[in-house]
Amino acid sequence: MNIWLIFLAAAIGTYLIRISGVVLLKDEERIPVPVRRALRMVGPAAMGAIIVNSLFLDHGEWRAFGAWHIAAAVAIAMAIWRRSEGWSMLAGALVFAALIATVA
Amino acid sequence: MTRRSFLRVAPRQWSDAWDGTKAIAPLMVGCAIFGMAFGALIRDAGINPWAGLFGTTTVVAGASQIAIVEAVRANAPAIVAILTAILINARFALYSAALAPMWAEFPRRWRFGLAYFMTDQSAVIAMREAEGQEVVRRRWFAAGASVSFVVVWVLGTILGLILGPIIPEHWQVGFIVPLMFIAVLVPGLRNLAQLVTIAGAAAVVLLGHGWPFGLNVFFGIIAGMAAGATFDAWQEKRRAVVGGLS
Repeated sequence: MNIWLIFLAAAIGTYLIRISGVVLLKDEERIPVPVRRALRMVGPAAMGAIIVNSLFLDHGEWRAFGAWHIAAAVAIAMAIWRRSEGWSMLAGALVFAALIATVA
Repeated sequence: MTRRSFLRVAPRQWSDAWDGTKAIAPLMVGCAIFGMAFGALIRDAGINPWAGLFGTTTVVAGASQIAIVEAVRANAPAIVAILTAILINARFALYSAALAPMWAEFPRRWRFGLAYFMTDQSAVIAMREAEGQEVVRRRWFAAGASVSFVVVWVLGTILGLILGPIIPEHWQVGFIVPLMFIAVLVPGLRNLAQLVTIAGAAAVVLLGHGWPFGLNVFFGIIAGMAAGATFDAWQEKRRAVVGGLS
Protein backbone atom coordinates (compact mmCIF):
# COMPACT_ATOMS: atom_id res chain seq x y z
CA MET A 1 0.00 0.00 0.00
CA ASN A 2 1.13 3.45 -0.82
CA ILE A 3 2.63 5.67 1.89
CA TRP A 4 0.03 8.40 1.29
CA LEU A 5 -2.77 5.97 2.06
CA ILE A 6 -0.97 4.67 5.15
CA PHE A 7 -0.63 8.22 6.50
CA LEU A 8 -4.24 8.96 5.57
CA ALA A 9 -5.56 5.86 7.37
CA ALA A 10 -3.43 6.61 10.45
CA ALA A 11 -4.61 10.23 10.37
CA ILE A 12 -8.28 9.29 10.22
CA GLY A 13 -7.85 6.72 13.00
CA THR A 14 -5.93 9.18 15.14
CA TYR A 15 -8.49 11.93 14.62
CA LEU A 16 -11.32 9.61 15.62
CA ILE A 17 -9.36 8.76 18.78
CA ARG A 18 -8.74 12.45 19.51
CA ILE A 19 -12.39 13.32 19.10
CA SER A 20 -13.78 10.25 20.93
CA GLY A 21 -13.97 11.52 24.50
CA VAL A 22 -14.89 15.05 23.51
CA VAL A 23 -17.88 13.74 21.56
CA LEU A 24 -18.99 10.88 23.80
CA LEU A 25 -18.38 12.21 27.31
CA LYS A 26 -19.83 15.69 27.27
CA ASP A 27 -21.86 15.21 30.43
CA GLU A 28 -19.52 14.92 33.40
CA GLU A 29 -22.34 13.81 35.71
CA ARG A 30 -22.69 10.60 33.72
CA ILE A 31 -19.05 9.60 34.22
CA PRO A 32 -18.71 7.39 37.33
CA VAL A 33 -16.75 9.02 40.17
CA PRO A 34 -13.81 6.55 40.11
CA VAL A 35 -13.38 7.14 36.36
CA ARG A 36 -13.46 10.91 36.89
CA ARG A 37 -10.84 10.51 39.57
CA ALA A 38 -8.67 8.46 37.20
CA LEU A 39 -9.10 10.94 34.35
CA ARG A 40 -7.72 13.71 36.56
CA MET A 41 -4.49 11.68 36.68
CA VAL A 42 -4.07 11.31 32.92
CA GLY A 43 -1.44 14.06 32.67
CA PRO A 44 1.07 12.67 35.17
CA ALA A 45 0.31 9.10 34.02
CA ALA A 46 0.99 9.81 30.34
CA MET A 47 4.01 12.05 30.92
CA GLY A 48 5.46 9.56 33.41
CA ALA A 49 4.93 6.61 31.06
CA ILE A 50 6.51 8.38 28.08
CA ILE A 51 9.48 9.61 30.15
CA VAL A 52 10.20 6.19 31.65
CA ASN A 53 9.74 4.45 28.30
CA SER A 54 12.12 6.74 26.44
CA LEU A 55 14.66 7.03 29.23
CA PHE A 56 15.05 3.42 30.30
CA LEU A 57 14.11 1.57 27.12
CA ASP A 58 15.36 1.72 23.56
CA HIS A 59 13.19 -0.21 21.12
CA GLY A 60 12.10 -2.53 23.93
CA GLU A 61 15.64 -3.18 25.21
CA TRP A 62 17.14 -1.67 28.36
CA ARG A 63 19.09 1.48 27.71
CA ALA A 64 22.64 1.34 29.13
CA PHE A 65 23.17 3.77 32.00
CA GLY A 66 24.71 7.02 30.85
CA ALA A 67 24.13 10.53 29.56
CA TRP A 68 20.36 10.08 29.17
CA HIS A 69 19.84 9.24 32.82
CA ILE A 70 22.24 11.81 34.22
CA ALA A 71 20.90 14.68 32.09
CA ALA A 72 17.32 13.68 32.91
CA ALA A 73 18.15 13.74 36.64
CA VAL A 74 19.57 17.24 36.23
CA ALA A 75 16.46 18.38 34.32
CA ILE A 76 14.23 16.96 37.08
CA ALA A 77 16.27 18.64 39.82
CA MET A 78 16.16 21.93 37.96
CA ALA A 79 12.40 21.61 37.40
CA ILE A 80 11.84 21.06 41.12
CA TRP A 81 14.18 23.87 42.10
CA ARG A 82 13.07 26.60 39.65
CA ARG A 83 9.54 25.29 38.95
CA SER A 84 10.21 26.29 35.35
CA GLU A 85 9.87 24.42 32.05
CA GLY A 86 12.46 26.56 30.31
CA TRP A 87 15.17 26.19 32.93
CA SER A 88 14.54 22.47 33.19
CA MET A 89 14.95 21.96 29.44
CA LEU A 90 17.96 24.24 29.18
CA ALA A 91 19.82 22.55 32.04
CA GLY A 92 18.98 19.07 30.75
CA ALA A 93 20.03 19.91 27.19
CA LEU A 94 23.33 21.54 28.24
CA VAL A 95 24.32 18.66 30.52
CA PHE A 96 23.33 16.15 27.84
CA ALA A 97 25.36 17.98 25.18
CA ALA A 98 28.37 18.20 27.48
CA LEU A 99 28.20 14.50 28.31
CA ILE A 100 27.82 13.49 24.66
CA ALA A 101 30.73 15.74 23.67
CA THR A 102 33.05 14.31 26.32
CA VAL A 103 32.21 10.73 25.41
CA ALA A 104 32.51 11.25 21.66
CA MET B 1 -23.56 44.37 14.59
CA THR B 2 -21.89 41.02 15.04
CA ARG B 3 -18.85 42.43 13.39
CA ARG B 4 -18.59 45.31 15.82
CA SER B 5 -18.93 43.09 18.83
CA PHE B 6 -16.39 40.74 17.28
CA LEU B 7 -13.96 43.62 16.99
CA ARG B 8 -14.69 44.71 20.52
CA VAL B 9 -13.93 41.34 22.11
CA ALA B 10 -11.18 40.29 19.74
CA PRO B 11 -8.18 41.86 21.55
CA ARG B 12 -9.16 40.06 24.73
CA GLN B 13 -9.42 36.74 22.90
CA TRP B 14 -6.19 37.28 21.06
CA SER B 15 -4.52 37.91 24.37
CA ASP B 16 -6.04 34.70 25.80
CA ALA B 17 -4.66 32.79 22.80
CA TRP B 18 -1.30 34.49 23.21
CA ASP B 19 -1.22 33.36 26.86
CA GLY B 20 -1.69 29.80 25.63
CA THR B 21 1.13 30.22 23.13
CA LYS B 22 3.39 31.62 25.85
CA ALA B 23 2.53 28.72 28.16
CA ILE B 24 3.77 26.18 25.60
CA ALA B 25 6.62 28.31 24.20
CA PRO B 26 9.42 26.74 26.32
CA LEU B 27 8.68 23.42 24.58
CA MET B 28 8.78 24.80 21.05
CA VAL B 29 12.51 24.40 20.50
CA GLY B 30 12.20 20.72 21.41
CA CYS B 31 9.18 20.36 19.14
CA ALA B 32 11.00 21.98 16.20
CA ILE B 33 14.04 19.72 16.63
CA PHE B 34 11.83 16.64 16.86
CA GLY B 35 10.02 17.80 13.71
CA MET B 36 13.33 18.25 11.94
CA ALA B 37 14.34 14.75 12.95
CA PHE B 38 11.12 13.41 11.43
CA GLY B 39 11.67 15.36 8.21
CA ALA B 40 15.22 14.03 7.98
CA LEU B 41 13.96 10.50 8.59
CA ILE B 42 11.56 10.84 5.65
CA ARG B 43 14.44 11.89 3.42
CA ASP B 44 16.66 9.14 4.77
CA ALA B 45 13.97 6.51 4.12
CA GLY B 46 13.65 7.71 0.53
CA ILE B 47 9.97 8.64 0.97
CA ASN B 48 8.45 11.38 -1.16
CA PRO B 49 8.86 14.63 0.87
CA TRP B 50 5.32 15.72 -0.02
CA ALA B 51 4.00 12.48 1.44
CA GLY B 52 6.04 13.19 4.57
CA LEU B 53 4.57 16.68 4.80
CA PHE B 54 1.11 15.21 4.28
CA GLY B 55 1.73 12.74 7.12
CA THR B 56 2.96 15.40 9.49
CA THR B 57 0.01 17.73 8.90
CA THR B 58 -2.66 15.03 9.05
CA VAL B 59 -1.43 12.57 11.69
CA VAL B 60 0.13 15.31 13.89
CA ALA B 61 1.73 12.85 16.31
CA GLY B 62 5.50 12.39 16.07
CA ALA B 63 6.09 9.02 17.68
CA SER B 64 3.42 7.35 15.54
CA GLN B 65 4.72 8.99 12.36
CA ILE B 66 8.20 7.65 13.08
CA ALA B 67 6.72 4.21 13.71
CA ILE B 68 4.99 4.33 10.31
CA VAL B 69 8.20 5.24 8.50
CA GLU B 70 10.14 2.54 10.34
CA ALA B 71 7.48 -0.06 9.52
CA VAL B 72 7.42 0.96 5.86
CA ARG B 73 11.20 0.90 5.70
CA ALA B 74 11.21 -2.60 7.21
CA ASN B 75 8.73 -3.68 4.51
CA ALA B 76 6.07 -4.48 7.09
CA PRO B 77 2.51 -4.87 5.75
CA ALA B 78 0.61 -1.57 5.54
CA ILE B 79 -1.94 -2.74 8.07
CA VAL B 80 0.82 -3.27 10.64
CA ALA B 81 2.11 0.27 10.06
CA ILE B 82 -1.38 1.72 10.44
CA LEU B 83 -2.32 -0.30 13.52
CA THR B 84 0.99 0.42 15.22
CA ALA B 85 0.42 4.14 14.71
CA ILE B 86 -3.13 3.95 15.99
CA LEU B 87 -2.13 1.96 19.08
CA ILE B 88 0.66 4.44 19.84
CA ASN B 89 -1.94 7.20 19.59
CA ALA B 90 -4.54 5.41 21.71
CA ARG B 91 -3.52 7.59 24.66
CA PHE B 92 -5.24 10.54 22.97
CA ALA B 93 -8.56 8.89 23.85
CA LEU B 94 -7.64 9.37 27.50
CA TYR B 95 -6.76 13.04 27.04
CA SER B 96 -9.96 13.45 25.06
CA ALA B 97 -12.01 11.92 27.87
CA ALA B 98 -10.28 14.08 30.47
CA LEU B 99 -10.77 17.25 28.40
CA ALA B 100 -14.40 16.47 27.52
CA PRO B 101 -16.02 18.03 30.62
CA MET B 102 -13.70 21.05 30.38
CA TRP B 103 -14.65 21.56 26.74
CA ALA B 104 -18.33 20.59 27.07
CA GLU B 105 -19.55 24.18 26.75
CA PHE B 106 -17.43 24.97 23.69
CA PRO B 107 -19.27 25.28 20.37
CA ARG B 108 -19.14 22.04 18.42
CA ARG B 109 -16.80 23.36 15.70
CA TRP B 110 -14.34 24.37 18.41
CA ARG B 111 -14.34 20.92 19.95
CA PHE B 112 -13.85 19.27 16.56
CA GLY B 113 -11.16 21.75 15.62
CA LEU B 114 -9.21 21.67 18.87
CA ALA B 115 -9.22 17.86 18.82
CA TYR B 116 -7.33 17.95 15.54
CA PHE B 117 -4.53 19.99 17.12
CA MET B 118 -4.36 17.90 20.30
CA THR B 119 -0.85 16.88 21.30
CA ASP B 120 0.48 15.48 24.58
CA GLN B 121 2.01 18.81 25.46
CA SER B 122 -0.93 21.04 24.61
CA ALA B 123 -3.47 18.65 26.16
CA VAL B 124 -1.59 18.57 29.45
CA ILE B 125 -1.12 22.34 29.51
CA ALA B 126 -4.79 22.95 28.62
CA MET B 127 -5.90 20.61 31.43
CA ARG B 128 -3.55 22.17 33.93
CA GLU B 129 -4.83 25.67 33.23
CA ALA B 130 -8.51 24.91 32.55
CA GLU B 131 -9.52 25.15 36.19
CA GLY B 132 -10.33 28.75 37.01
CA GLN B 133 -10.48 29.86 33.37
CA GLU B 134 -13.88 31.06 32.25
CA VAL B 135 -15.14 29.21 29.24
CA VAL B 136 -14.28 31.68 26.44
CA ARG B 137 -10.78 32.24 27.76
CA ARG B 138 -10.37 28.49 28.18
CA ARG B 139 -11.00 27.75 24.51
CA TRP B 140 -8.85 30.59 23.20
CA PHE B 141 -6.06 29.61 25.56
CA ALA B 142 -6.28 25.98 24.36
CA ALA B 143 -6.25 27.13 20.74
CA GLY B 144 -3.28 29.42 21.31
CA ALA B 145 -1.29 26.59 22.86
CA SER B 146 -2.24 23.76 20.52
CA VAL B 147 -2.33 25.48 17.12
CA SER B 148 1.00 27.27 17.63
CA PHE B 149 2.62 24.03 18.75
CA VAL B 150 1.42 22.17 15.66
CA VAL B 151 2.62 25.03 13.44
CA VAL B 152 6.09 24.70 14.98
CA TRP B 153 5.91 20.93 14.47
CA VAL B 154 5.07 21.33 10.78
CA LEU B 155 7.73 24.03 10.24
CA GLY B 156 10.30 21.80 11.94
CA THR B 157 9.33 18.94 9.64
CA ILE B 158 9.62 21.15 6.55
CA LEU B 159 13.08 22.26 7.68
CA GLY B 160 14.09 18.63 8.17
CA LEU B 161 12.69 17.72 4.74
CA ILE B 162 14.71 20.49 3.10
CA LEU B 163 17.94 20.08 5.01
CA GLY B 164 17.92 16.32 5.41
CA PRO B 165 19.88 14.59 8.15
CA ILE B 166 22.11 17.53 9.17
CA ILE B 167 21.91 16.62 12.85
CA PRO B 168 24.64 14.03 13.47
CA GLU B 169 23.37 10.72 14.79
CA HIS B 170 25.69 10.77 17.79
CA TRP B 171 23.87 13.85 19.11
CA GLN B 172 21.03 11.47 19.96
CA VAL B 173 18.24 14.02 19.49
CA GLY B 174 15.82 11.40 20.78
CA PHE B 175 16.70 12.72 24.23
CA ILE B 176 14.36 15.63 23.39
CA VAL B 177 11.42 13.32 24.14
CA PRO B 178 12.04 12.58 27.84
CA LEU B 179 13.45 16.10 28.32
CA MET B 180 10.35 17.80 26.95
CA PHE B 181 8.02 15.67 29.03
CA ILE B 182 10.07 16.16 32.21
CA ALA B 183 9.75 19.91 31.63
CA VAL B 184 5.95 19.61 31.26
CA LEU B 185 5.44 17.20 34.13
CA VAL B 186 7.73 18.04 37.00
CA PRO B 187 7.13 21.77 37.63
CA GLY B 188 3.38 21.11 37.88
CA LEU B 189 3.57 18.27 40.40
CA ARG B 190 1.65 19.14 43.53
CA ASN B 191 0.60 16.08 45.49
CA LEU B 192 1.39 12.56 46.53
CA ALA B 193 -1.38 11.04 44.41
CA GLN B 194 0.43 12.30 41.31
CA LEU B 195 3.65 10.61 42.41
CA VAL B 196 1.76 7.36 42.98
CA THR B 197 0.33 7.78 39.46
CA ILE B 198 3.81 8.14 37.98
CA ALA B 199 5.12 5.15 39.95
CA GLY B 200 2.23 2.97 38.75
CA ALA B 201 2.77 4.02 35.15
CA ALA B 202 6.54 3.50 35.38
CA ALA B 203 6.13 0.01 36.84
CA VAL B 204 3.93 -1.24 33.99
CA VAL B 205 6.01 0.47 31.29
CA LEU B 206 9.13 -1.34 32.55
CA LEU B 207 7.43 -4.67 33.24
CA GLY B 208 5.96 -4.60 29.74
CA HIS B 209 9.20 -3.62 28.02
CA GLY B 210 8.99 -6.44 25.51
CA TRP B 211 5.40 -5.73 24.46
CA PRO B 212 4.90 -4.72 20.82
CA PHE B 213 3.21 -1.60 19.35
CA GLY B 214 3.97 0.65 22.33
CA LEU B 215 1.38 -1.22 24.38
CA ASN B 216 3.53 -0.95 27.50
CA VAL B 217 3.09 2.82 27.34
CA PHE B 218 -0.67 2.66 26.84
CA PHE B 219 -1.24 0.15 29.62
CA GLY B 220 1.28 2.02 31.76
CA ILE B 221 -0.86 5.14 31.47
CA ILE B 222 -3.99 3.18 32.42
CA ALA B 223 -2.20 1.55 35.38
CA GLY B 224 -0.87 4.90 36.55
CA MET B 225 -4.31 6.47 36.39
CA ALA B 226 -5.81 3.56 38.33
CA ALA B 227 -3.06 3.67 40.95
CA GLY B 228 -3.35 7.42 41.39
CA ALA B 229 -7.14 7.34 41.58
CA THR B 230 -7.09 4.49 44.12
CA PHE B 231 -4.60 6.33 46.27
CA ASP B 232 -6.59 9.54 45.97
CA ALA B 233 -9.80 7.79 47.07
CA TRP B 234 -8.01 6.11 49.98
CA GLN B 235 -6.53 9.42 51.11
CA GLU B 236 -9.90 11.13 50.93
CA LYS B 237 -11.51 8.37 52.99
CA ARG B 238 -8.74 8.57 55.56
CA ARG B 239 -9.08 12.32 55.82
CA ALA B 240 -12.83 11.93 56.32
CA VAL B 241 -12.26 9.39 59.12
CA VAL B 242 -9.66 11.57 60.81
CA GLY B 243 -11.92 14.59 60.40
CA GLY B 244 -14.82 12.67 61.93
CA LEU B 245 -12.73 11.73 64.97
CA SER B 246 -11.52 15.19 65.83
